[in-house]
Amino acid sequence: MPGMITDIQRFSLNDGPGIRTTVFFKGCNMKCAWCHNPETISKKNELHFYAAKCIGCGRCFEICPQKAHVIVNGVHKIDRNLCIGCGQCAETCYAEALIMSGKAVSAQDVMKEILQDKAYYQNSGGGVTISGGEVLCQKAFALEIIESCHENDINVAIETNLNGPHEAVMDLLGKTDLVMCDIKLLDDDKHKKYTGVSNSIILSNVLKLDRLGIPYIVRTPLIPGISDSNENILSITEFLKPLKHLILYELLNFNPLGAPKYASLDMQYGFGAYTPLPATRLDELQTLVKNAGLPAKIG
Amino acid sequence: MMIKFINEYPISKTFTFEERIALLRELKIKQTVEKAKTGGANEDDYGLIVQNSFEYKLKPNHENGSIYGYDAWVENYCSILESHPLYCNPLDAFVGKGFLFLERLRPAGCKWNPDYPYDDLKVLFDKYNVVSGIDNCHHFTPDLLIGFELGWGGILEKLERQKEVHDGSHLAFYDSEIAVVKAIIAFLKRMADELFELAHEEDNPTLKHNLFEMARINRKIADQAPETFREAIQWMCWFSMLSRTYNRGSAGGQLDEMLRPYYERDIENGVLAKEEAVFYLACLFLQDSRYFQLGGPDVDGKDMTSEISYLCLEAADKINIACNLTIRVHDKLDKVFYKKSVAYLFKNKQGWPRYSSDSALAEGFMKCGFSLELARKRVAAGCHWMCIPGMEYTMNDTVKINLAKVFEVSYDDMVANEPKPSAEKLYETYQKHLKLAVDATGKGIMHHLKYQTKSQPELILNLFQHGLIEKGVNITDGGANYYNMCVDGSGIAVAADSFAACQQRIDNEKRLNYQELTKHMKANYEDRDGEYIRQLMQHSERYCGGESLGDAWAIRISRLYTELVRDLNNQHPGINFIPGFFSWSNTIAFGKTVSATPNGRKNEEPINHGANPCSGFRKDGAVTAMCHAIGAIQPGYGNCAPVQLELDPGIANDDEGIEKMAAMIQTIMTTGNTLLNINIIDAKKILEAHQDPFKYPDLVVRVTGFTAFFAMLSPEFRQLVVDRVAAVNTDKT
Repeated sequence: MPGMITDIQRFSLNDGPGIRTTVFFKGCNMKCAWCHNPETISKKNELHFYAAKCIGCGRCFEICPQKAHVIVNGVHKIDRNLCIGCGQCAETCYAEALIMSGKAVSAQDVMKEILQDKAYYQNSGGGVTISGGEVLCQKAFALEIIESCHENDINVAIETNLNGPHEAVMDLLGKTDLVMCDIKLLDDDKHKKYTGVSNSIILSNVLKLDRLGIPYIVRTPLIPGISDSNENILSITEFLKPLKHLILYELLNFNPLGAPKYASLDMQYGFGAYTPLPATRLDELQTLVKNAGLPAKIG
Repeated sequence: MMIKFINEYPISKTFTFEERIALLRELKIKQTVEKAKTGGANEDDYGLIVQNSFEYKLKPNHENGSIYGYDAWVENYCSILESHPLYCNPLDAFVGKGFLFLERLRPAGCKWNPDYPYDDLKVLFDKYNVVSGIDNCHHFTPDLLIGFELGWGGILEKLERQKEVHDGSHLAFYDSEIAVVKAIIAFLKRMADELFELAHEEDNPTLKHNLFEMARINRKIADQAPETFREAIQWMCWFSMLSRTYNRGSAGGQLDEMLRPYYERDIENGVLAKEEAVFYLACLFLQDSRYFQLGGPDVDGKDMTSEISYLCLEAADKINIACNLTIRVHDKLDKVFYKKSVAYLFKNKQGWPRYSSDSALAEGFMKCGFSLELARKRVAAGCHWMCIPGMEYTMNDTVKINLAKVFEVSYDDMVANEPKPSAEKLYETYQKHLKLAVDATGKGIMHHLKYQTKSQPELILNLFQHGLIEKGVNITDGGANYYNMCVDGSGIAVAADSFAACQQRIDNEKRLNYQELTKHMKANYEDRDGEYIRQLMQHSERYCGGESLGDAWAIRISRLYTELVRDLNNQHPGINFIPGFFSWSNTIAFGKTVSATPNGRKNEEPINHGANPCSGFRKDGAVTAMCHAIGAIQPGYGNCAPVQLELDPGIANDDEGIEKMAAMIQTIMTTGNTLLNINIIDAKKILEAHQDPFKYPDLVVRVTGFTAFFAMLSPEFRQLVVDRVAAVNTDKT
């Protein structure tokens, strides 16, 4: 069964233990306001346009069946209402000003790339991380990759928001070597406001995951003014304290790299002026968690 | 005349070893800035001192103003030693700074003796852009243990004894070497005398005591063998200066094992403290940027890591300048030592240590017909090269064939003469031209071996070869035990990417034809649609892309190149030719001779560095993909195709990160690769330093095989390093 991915990143050092290859699934069932990978939200193919790389050859205007490439006030734009994401323009754009996000690949295609770094996984205690987007949105595809990895003695971690029906979630998690999941906000109203969904099913799944006995890491993205308060971190810490199989509570500093991607997709981004938290604040938050008796790390 | 730093501190001032190292380092950085302001250099630091107090005017023996043969080299070298001043810093443990290289005092273009021309070969060298190595010197490794055992006096006695048993045909050799060694002994005695004078002049008791000790040691080792740890290192410092002053003679050896007996004996006798030993080693690294190997297997496979291996790392950490230390990775390497070395690499971000692979190097060298024991003795000794101390003549890193230029000649030949051009036809043409280039290079090496003594005998390094003094001939005349001639290919990525681009875009996808491509290339891709076609070709499947067409072509080129170089053994029996891939700092010069290529490279742009890919080889810049591809193109006969990595310091700023990097290095070293150079560079910092090199005068980068102060590099070279850093610091998803 083919799956939709945006990218495969080899030599990934920040998506779990050891040296890993990270497979980014396309499509998510949440819509976090600060998401730094906006191209992974929609399940559909999307066209990025990086104007600075454009060499002005005009091929995209000629080839586009929808005539979605237009000049507005002397500037090359894409009419997003017309663009159907067919990718024909990107195929002719060797300057890589036009890039398609999203490609349909088989698990075998993914495995071909994964297997090239097997020696690195084995020597470093690493493996493969399936990230997103949201892995739960393509569960069957994920299971196929996990199975192939295990056949090749490769460890698999998943990064998930746990926002799915309990049975479906546990079915996948039960076959994974390590789970990394997010609790972004404990306050449900805020959670709904900033992610578009309630956190009740997520919290419930964390508790069930713990009962399953699989090792897992919980992460909180530290979004300035939204999730980086002492109150939020302490309340999540309190929620996590009774759990038995949590191996780490990781605080992820705000990632400011999303802005150019939003611009390339003509999407609005409300966090362009935000900056990562300073080291002193990160230390304070880490200390809060540690003082509560949880293993903590800044990511 | 002498450069001294006497009475610079109050009488009451006392110093810890830490303070002395810090002060010496501070002075080194200051001197580096001065050196950079006087012109800089795209090469090793050498520990050379820029000064105005001493100048030597060459005494030529040829109408072209140069010097050739035994007599002229002896006369000039001895004259230099007669007047070369002492450089002494009382804070230092050693003296031994040099001010010039005799070999570089010759007029430009007059290195090779014109009485031994090779005009027919020059035509081919120009056509294929071959650096023939003819007229180059040293680039093999002396065995300093010979000096440790005999001292200069012992070497002199040996020369005089052997002279007696030979007939007159060896007189020129013996008389020259004897004159040189006598001049060295006289020079060292003068240095010792001057040190005594300085000791009397100095008022600070700590520094006075140090100067008296230095003077005593120097008087002893002027002709006697060193007996203590400090004496042995002082002997090494002078050896460095003396060989550099002659012809920049290179290479150190297995440092930990060389010094271990002295260290252990002194510790046992209670005359040396560990802290003091670290200080001496730091001063050794300060004196010269020689290449030393640490760790690795002994002839029986047992790990050679010892306490002194750790002390070498600690000393390098304290002095923290351009150190050329290589750790030899093997399955029994002390894990704690290895981990510590990785931690230092990321802590100091100065490009040291680097790593070599015992298995890949030893297995490859054994394929040349050598024993495992000999293969293990072949230690890292230069930019990208290994050598058995005192056993080999190699011309390492001096012979280069520009594979990108050979590609250009082949491409032009094919499009001019082939009615149905294709990547396969191009490869057939490439085979023909590469053979011509390699065969000419082989003949060039033989010409060098035949006549080098008439140009420049190796009067210093000859003395540290096993059996050479006994034979009574210069090393190029049969004085070495083995002749393992290094023949490096450069520009493999440009050639492989060009083949791949032609195959993919023209043969397979039929996006354009060869005529059209040729038209665009001749216009440097600046004609109508030129940039579009350039982008099309550049974004073909590249070398290091990960099982790509470019990777497949690189393997094919490597196999062909290896086969052709190894075939030189049949053409020149008794000489062993070993292929490798390296460019040293020729990437810019080689690029200037090659016009636009099918991989989208424009006229005169630099070729790729060593065995590394061209910039932008993969969107994620994955080092694993790169190292996998470089591992696959190793020629596999004991010489190197090094990996050059540029990494961001942020990837290993905690223990977990260090663990990951240690695992990464270990994997690279066990998946076919031979040598790994790593720069840990903050992309922002290097950009700032590129704009203003003096903003970070202590910033050290690993340029190719050597480390150098960034400020010392020319703007073109700084740009190359900046480009390499940018290539692997793409924004991560």
